[in-house]
Amino acid sequence: MLSSSANGIYWMARYMERAGFMCRLLHIQSEALVDRPIAEIEFGWRRIYRAIDRNPLGGIQGAGPIDDYTLVDAYFLTDELTFVRENPESILSCLERGRENARQIRNCVSEQMWTALNTEFLRIRDIKLTDIWLTSPGSFYAELLTGIDRFTGVATATMYRDEGWHFFRVGQFIERVQFSCSLLLTQKTLELQYGELAEASWRSLLRIFHASGAYDRTHSIEIQPELVLDLLVTDRRIPESLLRSVDRATQELSSLGDGPNTVTSGALRRLAGRLGALLRYDWPDRDDREAVLRQVLTYSQQLHALLSETYFDYAIQGVPRSNVR
Amino acid sequence: MSNRQSDRSAKLDFKNYEIEASFYDEMFDVDGSPRAHCVELHSTLTDLTQLELSTMQERVTRSFYNEGITFIVYGDEAAGERIIPIDCVPRVLANAEWRHIESGLDQRLRALNLFLEDIYNEARIITDGVIPVDVIRGCPQYRIEMRGLSAPYGAWVAICGTDLVRTNDGFCVLEDNLRVPSGVSYMIATRKAVKANLRNAYRRSRVLDVEHYGKLLLRTLRDIAPPGVSDPTIALLTPGVFNSAFYEHMFLASELDAELVEGRDLIVNDGYVYMRTTSGMRRVDVIYRRVDDDFIDPLVFRADSYLGVPGLLHAYRLGNVSLANAPGTGVADDKSVYAYVPDIIRYYLGEEPILANVQTNLCRQSEGLEYTLDNLENLVVKQVGGSGGYGMLIGPHATPEERDAFARQIQADPANYISQPVLDLSRSPCLIDNEFEPRHVDLRPFILRGDETRIVPGGLCRIALPRGSLVVNSSQGGGAKDIWVLPT
Repeated sequence: MLSSSANGIYWMARYMERAGFMCRLLHIQSEALVDRPIAEIEFGWRRIYRAIDRNPLGGIQGAGPIDDYTLVDAYFLTDELTFVRENPESILSCLERGRENARQIRNCVSEQMWTALNTEFLRIRDIKLTDIWLTSPGSFYAELLTGIDRFTGVATATMYRDEGWHFFRVGQFIERVQFSCSLLLTQKTLELQYGELAEASWRSLLRIFHASGAYDRTHSIEIQPELVLDLLVTDRRIPESLLRSVDRATQELSSLGDGPNTVTSGALRRLAGRLGALLRYDWPDRDDREAVLRQVLTYSQQLHALLSETYFDYAIQGVPRSNVR
Repeated sequence: MSNRQSDRSAKLDFKNYEIEASFYDEMFDVDGSPRAHCVELHSTLTDLTQLELSTMQERVTRSFYNEGITFIVYGDEAAGERIIPIDCVPRVLANAEWRHIESGLDQRLRALNLFLEDIYNEARIITDGVIPVDVIRGCPQYRIEMRGLSAPYGAWVAICGTDLVRTNDGFCVLEDNLRVPSGVSYMIATRKAVKANLRNAYRRSRVLDVEHYGKLLLRTLRDIAPPGVSDPTIALLTPGVFNSAFYEHMFLASELDAELVEGRDLIVNDGYVYMRTTSGMRRVDVIYRRVDDDFIDPLVFRADSYLGVPGLLHAYRLGNVSLANAPGTGVADDKSVYAYVPDIIRYYLGEEPILANVQTNLCRQSEGLEYTLDNLENLVVKQVGGSGGYGMLIGPHATPEERDAFARQIQADPANYISQPVLDLSRSPCLIDNEFEPRHVDLRPFILRGDETRIVPGGLCRIALPRGSLVVNSSQGGGAKDIWVLPT
């Protein structure tokens, strides 16, 4: 497969995964705006911005050493995280970039995938926050999430299982590992910073990972932060748990050929193994959860860099030219 | 709003449809009765209600929109991707009409390929005095770098899209597009959308298929592979996602099951072309390039180009890679050379042209210049290297000031202009604001040439959408419709 096509598929998958995460975060936040205490709403904004490592565009009015999100208008933040193109992490930006990548590699994905992505993008492209703000932001995010999930489902149902499929899945899972890890790290950091967090913040975290019901069934309806964290990191039955995402990424990587750069190719596979081992064997025995999560994040970023060096941007010097057509 | 417009359950007939004897109507005879080969379609259309027709039109447009069948207009990038307006009423051609067109196109492309082989080698046509040397050498599309080269099967032009128009005198060729002709994807997409909406009429008419174009293109590209390569690796070279025809490039790569590459994906090493794949550098044998000559190899043509591949022409000269179309073919579709195509056909084939040319005045010749300047208000004036409907003057539609300004441009550089009479382009019924109205149309069939000529029966029918307009280019508001060629 052409390296640039593989790169396009990989990034398409990453942007769509990111759009899905953002959508879930904002869906839950939009619900919180209706009836939750100000402190909880403020926590929600802080968690989102920390997780994506950004500050609101133009800074925060009255921000001191600790960002005060209560001073910022929820309308403004929602808009920036949903529709503002200048914010590369906004849902619209993610969909737009996912679509741009898809447009360039349309011949490598199924027609149904392209149509699902294109129609979803076109549907929301011209929507303004004013169109949904007073009536139903919650149902807007729910509908959008369905559209993004539809894309993923259509991809699973229709995409040809060649190399492109494996790059698609690798993109999905690497993004999932990075975003999940960022979010868990943020939760843990905020806990260290502010002391015990409200139960609602852990419950909403579970909901972001589609794991609220699983937690209740596994433990109880009583929230215990360490159990929540354990569940979201190591329970492989949860589709978006860290360990499951790492394992799936590793599995997809093993389905790919070695690539022309055997040095980076070996390093890539070893690192994926190390990442899995860290979660499987180190996590249960370590108390410094924040440090482990930071290590996971670093590894996953290195994984991306090695993948790129192995398959997309390898140096041409020294790579044998094949006479095989 | 009229009662008629408000009653969407009413059937749309052609009672208000205007037929003018000066314009050939593609559906109706001058007496208003449908032409014999259009009876089936006419009957279907008159049986549909206004609501059904407008819904059909919306569905066709929606399918283009959802599938992202778009183009970008240069200079208006801010407007973003556009869809070409598709009219859901097909234009029907009788089989005999198509056979005439087909044989004329085959003849024309064979002659033009012989012409290219000749002018880049012995140049007999010049020494025999059929074409003045300055017409060839003065053409910016003449590529000295191609001197002494040949193409497999003489197929310098493997892929061609010829613009035809019809007047009351019959079909004639308006333009040969021999460089990187576009539009074939719209032909197929239009066919798919229209046949899905006019299923019964399509089936009953037994319309000839055009959707196998990709297979014919693949055969053609395989034909022209370098000698000894039996199973060539084919790639389609695109300028990239920002090119106006990127959708088409992607579509064709998909039809060919070929990689869609940009210049940065290719390198030339030891005289061979390779593409960067996830498993290493892989050799490429045939490149269907949709990048203009100027940008294809910065070592030979424009050094500032990032779209091409350094060393590509070197690999081509060594015979290690084939290019479709070959560099330098633009000389044969230059508008000055166009005037000589009937002579070119006679010279190389010893046959009379089957398809006529439009009478053309060359401003490089004193009598042509004088005639053009004296009759600007009745003529269409075009730049010899222009395309897309840009750089032209339609005399009768221009203001005196515009004509004066254009006259000064012509006088400053006469060799850069030709003029032609304003043609009474045929008209075809289109669904405009829920009514059938006539609009001027042209026809662009797509011709392939490898070891033989291959043409799918049909083409892209372009429409000048504003009432009375003669400009069919999509970049200037033109639309498109399907062409149905019947089996008998």
